[in-house]
Amino acid sequence: MTTIDRDTRIPDPIELDLAEEERLRAAAGLLPVRSAAGEYAGFDQVGLPDRPPQTEREREVYTLEEGEMLVNMGPQHPSTHGVMRLVVKVRGEIIVDIDPVLGYLHRGIEKLCENATYTTVLTYVDPMDYLSTMHNEHAPAIAFEKLYGVEVPKRAEYIRALVVELERVSSHGLMMGFLALDMGGLTPILYAFINRDEIVDIQSAISGQRMLFNFFRVGGVNFDTNDEFLSRLGTWRSRVMKNIEMNERMITDNEIFRGRTIGMGILSGADAISLGVTGPNLRASGVAFDVRKAHPYSIYNELEFDVITQTSGDSYARYLQRIAEIKQSIHLIDQIVDKMPHGPVQAQVPGIIRPKPGRSYAAIESPRGLYSVYAISDGGPNPYRFRMRDPSFISLQAIPKIMPGKLVADTMAVMASFDPVMGGVDK
Amino acid sequence: MRLLTERLATDLRDLWTDEDTVEFQIDGARNIEVLRLLKEAPELDFFMLADAAAVDYGPGERFEVVYHLYSSKHPAWLRVRAHLDRGDPIVPTVTGLWEGAMFHEREMYDMMGIVFEGNRDLRRIYMSPDYRSFPQRRDFVLPDDAADSPAAGVNPLERPETWDLARFRDATDTSQPR
Repeated sequence: MTTIDRDTRIPDPIELDLAEEERLRAAAGLLPVRSAAGEYAGFDQVGLPDRPPQTEREREVYTLEEGEMLVNMGPQHPSTHGVMRLVVKVRGEIIVDIDPVLGYLHRGIEKLCENATYTTVLTYVDPMDYLSTMHNEHAPAIAFEKLYGVEVPKRAEYIRALVVELERVSSHGLMMGFLALDMGGLTPILYAFINRDEIVDIQSAISGQRMLFNFFRVGGVNFDTNDEFLSRLGTWRSRVMKNIEMNERMITDNEIFRGRTIGMGILSGADAISLGVTGPNLRASGVAFDVRKAHPYSIYNELEFDVITQTSGDSYARYLQRIAEIKQSIHLIDQIVDKMPHGPVQAQVPGIIRPKPGRSYAAIESPRGLYSVYAISDGGPNPYRFRMRDPSFISLQAIPKIMPGKLVADTMAVMASFDPVMGGVDK
Repeated sequence: MRLLTERLATDLRDLWTDEDTVEFQIDGARNIEVLRLLKEAPELDFFMLADAAAVDYGPGERFEVVYHLYSSKHPAWLRVRAHLDRGDPIVPTVTGLWEGAMFHEREMYDMMGIVFEGNRDLRRIYMSPDYRSFPQRRDFVLPDDAADSPAAGVNPLERPETWDLARFRDATDTSQPR
């Protein structure tokens, strides 16, 4: 029979590796993996980062009291709408705090754009907010036109507004489906994708692409309308209202859906403004701010529409706001098709643009809110600085604000009602 | 315009406008006072922070933190450019005025290395926490093997023989987070 001498411990090989790693990290000037004992509460619990907290807020989130636990939602969670991690601090089923961890999809698009010519920037911004690609191209196109001082032909502006509003219908329609999906309703997303596919077909008829359109040019658009585009648009328009209303009937009065959205994730108008929430989410909180009205760009001052708002600011209001905006967009598409003038669709612009040194700011209303571009030219062929403000990135800050005190299962349902797109969040 | 010059006479520099933007420049250390006035003065009422971004004008020049504000009472975007010393990029945080400035400031810290004094959560937001450089600075060079790519030599970044590595090392040394 062997006896174990508890005093002489054989060093664990893993422990040795850790010591070596610490030494290497210290030599490289990195933070230690393990901090001094007692520095960090609950070190060996799952979910805590392997380093001391860097900020006051991080210490607050990652310090656990009795009965609290950290749960990771993501980065591969099916309903984070992309690759994002929410570190959720829970007490039983109740959420105490949330820390969003971003950057899993970061591609450095701003930096890429600073090394691209003005024309090719419009291709790099496509995969940002991949559900509203046309909007992504619209803002830089306006900003560069201001920098270069080029007048866009009227017909090009109308085609731009047309494809952009189509995109809004498809994006909002998809949000309806995803919101229901995150509450366990599988059917609406299938219908939403059928509706989206029709719009994608229309857009591919005019641009030749299905998702990353690369349709906008500095000074106009790539192609004029063609027969296939117009015929598909007409077919779609003849049945879109029916389709949307069918999807609406399936969701709006559903008892489970109402139970899980009404009164959930209430965001007051003042909070929403302070947090930088824009777009339908802000209007659902009762603030009538729409860039199309506040700072009319393109042809929006020639179209008739009102800023729709809701009052309650909960998930249900955000959903109703989307439906109202879909109908508004269809109304706008009718007006655009009705008023569309004849003429060229592209101004005379050289292949490599060298704007005079200057700055320009362009903001548009994307399906997720205020999408803006700040571009600086130094006279060269590339933008000196190209800054994009993505609305879903800023709107995400509302989640840690409104979720504490709610149930874990409602996190995704509330998040889906904000409709973030991770391609845009992570740039 | 007149209102701005009246209320901000001491801080305001280089007032400039184009078709839909009013722009002026301030000293970075004064940003809270100026932005609070713009936000809270009832006749100005710039209640919404539309964008906050950092611009690097290159080594030896300056940093700028650029705020874009919206007011329902004025027909133009307001652009406030706050100047910062490039060697010592510290600026007071505006998260006390707009909570939503938090992600803007975390991004600026992550990408440009601008330190916001008083910000409770100045962590990296896109890059990993142990990353030690600031990728959107003008003197950031990619030390990768891009020279092996088929397009080598097209872009200065892909011609390592042209890189001034001594300057790069100095730049990374001075840019450590404090």
